[in-house]
Amino acid sequence: MVFLSIANWVRSRGPDEIWRKRRVFKLAAHYIGRRRNCYSVAVRNVHRALVYATKARQLKKQDMIDLWNTRITAACEQHNITYYTLKEGLDRSNIMLDRKSLSDLAAWEPRTFECLAAVAKQKIDYDGFIDGTDRKQPTGVNLNLKDVMLEAWLKENKK
Amino acid sequence: MSAFKRVQQWATFARTWHVFDCKWQDPYDSAQVIKKYLMGLHKPIYHPTNDCGDVVVCINSRDIALRGDEWRKRAYFHHTGYPGGASWTLAWELHNKDPTMIIRKAIYRSMKGNLQRRHTMERLFIFPGEDVPQDIMQNVTNQIRQLRLVPTRLDHIPEEEVQKYPKVMDYPQDYVLK
Repeated sequence: MVFLSIANWVRSRGPDEIWRKRRVFKLAAHYIGRRRNCYSVAVRNVHRALVYATKARQLKKQDMIDLWNTRITAACEQHNITYYTLKEGLDRSNIMLDRKSLSDLAAWEPRTFECLAAVAKQKIDYDGFIDGTDRKQPTGVNLNLKDVMLEAWLKENKK
Repeated sequence: MSAFKRVQQWATFARTWHVFDCKWQDPYDSAQVIKKYLMGLHKPIYHPTNDCGDVVVCINSRDIALRGDEWRKRAYFHHTGYPGGASWTLAWELHNKDPTMIIRKAIYRSMKGNLQRRHTMERLFIFPGEDVPQDIMQNVTNQIRQLRLVPTRLDHIPEEEVQKYPKVMDYPQDYVLK
């Protein structure tokens, strides 16, 4: 049942107005000035804050994904492998780690990550998979990332 | 490796000094690489609020290379704030005035505009030539790889090397070289 006229003429919207306003004031308790004391100002700001909070629930997830990507890419560069190759190699070796776990390993357990990168590299090598993403810029030298084994070379020549 | 040392990382938060040779490099492409080192994006411990950026020393900024006719076409805008205070400086004019300015602006603009950007730029040193003060050079421990190979100019190759190079043909006597 919808009241078209009479209900809208009534200025007082029920006896529990104070409780209705109190709900808004509680959410505006940490604001400054009229934003926390005047209901008509407070309700607008509370409404806007709730909209921000709703949107931020998605943004927070996206921000974390961006951070994980940055960290994994950084760790991959240290081991001469691209993120794409790492993912491809790990998938082919049936190592199903997600971005969060990989970035945690990259930051807190770099040795573990190094091993994962080595596994991915070896698997890619066995499968004969070629990553063309590192050949965008002409360097003048035909450099294949899987051939760059600087650390191994240093260890060999040390003896 | 013992269980305790498995996660041990020495000098994780140390600042590393990198040197980058700008000779024959595109400043706008190089900015993307230099930015990464300045902001610490090349470290797995990166976080926007984490002060993990490194120091980059750019040398030979006088010898940067711009694409196509960008030296003549690219304009840098400045406004003094007063009416009629706008001015457009072409890239070659700016480079003649200050040979470090183009690469500095390229790196500055490659980063997101926030409060951290100006502090990050403080960690960038740019020198027009190869002579870097000793107190800066002694900290440098790493060189960033150049994006492009520096081409060798024919007039920089010794005369005897050029003479030795096998020739396909000799120019006729009446041929006029431009």
